[in-house]
Amino acid sequence: MNEVAAALAVAFALAGVGAAAGWAVPARGRSTVAGAATAGVGAAGAAAGLAAVSGTGWQGHLPDLLPLAGVTLSVDALAGWFLLLVGGVAVVVGVYTVGYAGRGGHGPASRTALAVLPVFVAAMLLVPAAGSVSTFLLGWELMAVTSLLLVLAEHRHSPAARTAGLWYAAMTQAGFVAVLVGLAWLAAAAGGESFAAIRAAGPELSPVVSGGVFLLCLAGFASKAGAVPLHPWLPRAHAEAPSHVSALMSAAMVKLGVYGIVRVGFDLLGGGQRWWWLLLGAFGVVSALYGILQAAVATDLKRLLAFSTSENVGLILLGLAAAGLWTDAGEHAAAGVALAAALLHAANHAGFKTLLFCGAGSVLRATGTRDLDELGGLSRRMPATTLLFTVGALGAAALPPGNGFVSEWLLLQALLHRAPEAGMVVTVAAPVAVAVVALTAGVGVATYVKALGTGFLARPRSSAAEQAVESPRGMLAGMGLAALACAGLAVAPAVAAPALDRIAGGLRTGIAPLGGSGVDVRLSGIASTISPLWIGVGVVGLAVGFAGAARAVGRARRRAAAWDCGDGPLTARMEYTATSFAEPLQRVFDNVLAPEQDVDVTHPSESAYLVRSVQYRRRLPDRIEARLYQPMVTAVDRVGRAARGLATGSVHRYLAYMLAALIAVLVAGVIR
Amino acid sequence: MIDQLLNLACGLFLLSAIGVLWRRELSALIALLTVQGLALTGIAVLLAVDRHSVETAAVAVGVGVLKAGLLPLLLRRVLARVPEARETAPLVNVSASMLAAAGLVLLAYAAARPLVALAPTSAAQAAPVGIAVVLIGFFLAATRRRAISQIIGVLLVDNGIAAVAFLATGGVPLVVELGVSADLLLAVLVLQVLTARLHAAFGDTDLDELRELRD
Repeated sequence: MNEVAAALAVAFALAGVGAAAGWAVPARGRSTVAGAATAGVGAAGAAAGLAAVSGTGWQGHLPDLLPLAGVTLSVDALAGWFLLLVGGVAVVVGVYTVGYAGRGGHGPASRTALAVLPVFVAAMLLVPAAGSVSTFLLGWELMAVTSLLLVLAEHRHSPAARTAGLWYAAMTQAGFVAVLVGLAWLAAAAGGESFAAIRAAGPELSPVVSGGVFLLCLAGFASKAGAVPLHPWLPRAHAEAPSHVSALMSAAMVKLGVYGIVRVGFDLLGGGQRWWWLLLGAFGVVSALYGILQAAVATDLKRLLAFSTSENVGLILLGLAAAGLWTDAGEHAAAGVALAAALLHAANHAGFKTLLFCGAGSVLRATGTRDLDELGGLSRRMPATTLLFTVGALGAAALPPGNGFVSEWLLLQALLHRAPEAGMVVTVAAPVAVAVVALTAGVGVATYVKALGTGFLARPRSSAAEQAVESPRGMLAGMGLAALACAGLAVAPAVAAPALDRIAGGLRTGIAPLGGSGVDVRLSGIASTISPLWIGVGVVGLAVGFAGAARAVGRARRRAAAWDCGDGPLTARMEYTATSFAEPLQRVFDNVLAPEQDVDVTHPSESAYLVRSVQYRRRLPDRIEARLYQPMVTAVDRVGRAARGLATGSVHRYLAYMLAALIAVLVAGVIR
Repeated sequence: MIDQLLNLACGLFLLSAIGVLWRRELSALIALLTVQGLALTGIAVLLAVDRHSVETAAVAVGVGVLKAGLLPLLLRRVLARVPEARETAPLVNVSASMLAAAGLVLLAYAAARPLVALAPTSAAQAAPVGIAVVLIGFFLAATRRRAISQIIGVLLVDNGIAAVAFLATGGVPLVVELGVSADLLLAVLVLQVLTARLHAAFGDTDLDELRELRD
């Protein structure tokens, strides 16, 4: 039997068993069982993905599983890459869940929340494994519904979770409708609903059909990926969901939006026209910039991580857009590099964002708050968590030797490519994109310095942070696995080169494979080489060398009190908070962020020149949401209220409506 | 000969439906409904004779018992229990109802053309009559005040559907007809109880009283 088929069968069977067991087992052992099942499903999915990226494809048709269409599965290298990604994240989250959701204390230990977890992972494995439109849509909807249940896990305790669930449900269903219409249209135009049939008919489709299908699918997939301006569900759902669910959603589910764009844009429609990719690039640029700016000024740790997800998705989309544009211009080498950058960044982001969200969950469990202004000083109380969070933050800041660095470097290499035949718009757009990536990387560093510095270092700013306790071993083990994966991706990304070559070879857009060897990544067609291992060794060596030299050559160390201007001992009130650290950035980007702030100064009654107290309040509403979504919500609300006038309670009127509808249908039939 | 009888039965069928719209006294409506049930039974019997089908004959007997016997009986009992509701109290006056019925019959004939074109037998050519009765039944239910008119409207709709089924397919399988009849009987029983309760609660059977239940 084929390895991929066997592994997928194991994964789906385990998901069923895990869900049933999670439902049946009493509360004490429930998290252990559900966590183990989730990890098992993830491991089996990762095994299937590994086999697929190593060149073992598989296609299967199970006609009896579903009425009418049956279930069609088809796993190629591209699907394998995303199976591996989802599976890897699920293993980490499964192990983490054992420690996080148990003990009845913090975290959702409810029956539904735990039993649904393995099913959610299985649905996320079904999406890339699907080989026909109906199977894909089935997986997509199953994924949406199970994730919604998980987002709502804590709905009893927090009204914000209910709002988040509402936003998520509305946006994910709207996105599903867009994808449904797009893919159904595509299947109808291609004369078959299996991906193989569509692929065969893809190049002959008229530009109107393929353009329309691409636009609809892009809307659905980009909203699932959390690209700005289709993002408002993302910071809400990621912040309010339990942290292991946030990790799964941010690291794995969001990537399936990216998968959808690659599958439909490059594979099924076979490349397409230039304006598609310019539009996608615009999405990417706006997401990257707006995401990182909002992250930089956020004080809620999980909201910060969520907006950073938008930013990273923006970079991935930018890579895909570059791949499409370079293919269109005939620059196949640069296109291969851009596609590799996008896919590698998806994997890197999955690695570090799992780690960071799990870390945020540990902080939340230890202190009960996500507000960075109330944290601080955790490095003493939670040294292991702090270390692991640092690894993740290093990756997210895209600094060497973190893992985000390699893929962002690849992305820059792809964008810096000069193509004389690409046309005016592309010639102008590419340097702009480079500038955006550079700005994003810069603000990203500030963001993660803030998250780590104000959250974990210095002195605790609240009693909750003062009394934090280290997480149990299960959670640390899960995060440790993620940190290992990050480290592996950081020093040896070249091991992924054969898989990336296979994916590029499998897409029919004529993208030339990417060269690579053991230690370094060599870009075929672009004269560039990078050796992350040596960069890592160099950075660590330099740091150690400088420290050693300073100790050997410099003056002897002495202990003294820090300088406090002579004004008593230093207190936690004097240190940087998340708000004050981000204040300069907020000032620079004042026009974009439009913060609402007011300062109240109260004077004593004797003199207006003296100050008794100063109050500072700041709110940073999401501007895009306020301008774009609020009017829409208001309008829908108004229509709903107006529609109440139709239902007067009169039975006769209802009967008349039915009669009118029947007559309208008959008349329409006659006229046609 | 059978064709002519069939056309006669269909004519009676349609005419009784229009008569239901025309008359105001509820007892007359029930009598008309009985006539319509007999016409429907006649259609079924004629089809059974035409096709020499025992099963259709059994269905015809069942239809006769139910539509010309049992249902009118039930309705009369409702009427006896609610003595003051003698008239239908239409929301649309009778002449306007007649005009609307004419329009609905025209629409039914226009809409049923593809159905007739499928099987150009004389029975299928009469199928639009059934659709017309469905529309008239709906119209009756929407424009009459007393709860019992709604029951009669539902029965007209069902008669119309049954007539289309007979005429277009040439005989409905016994199982299907049994299922539909049981369903209908239940619906009428429920409506009968509902009417009685309505009368007990409001001292009237005007459905507009139910409007207070909203909100």
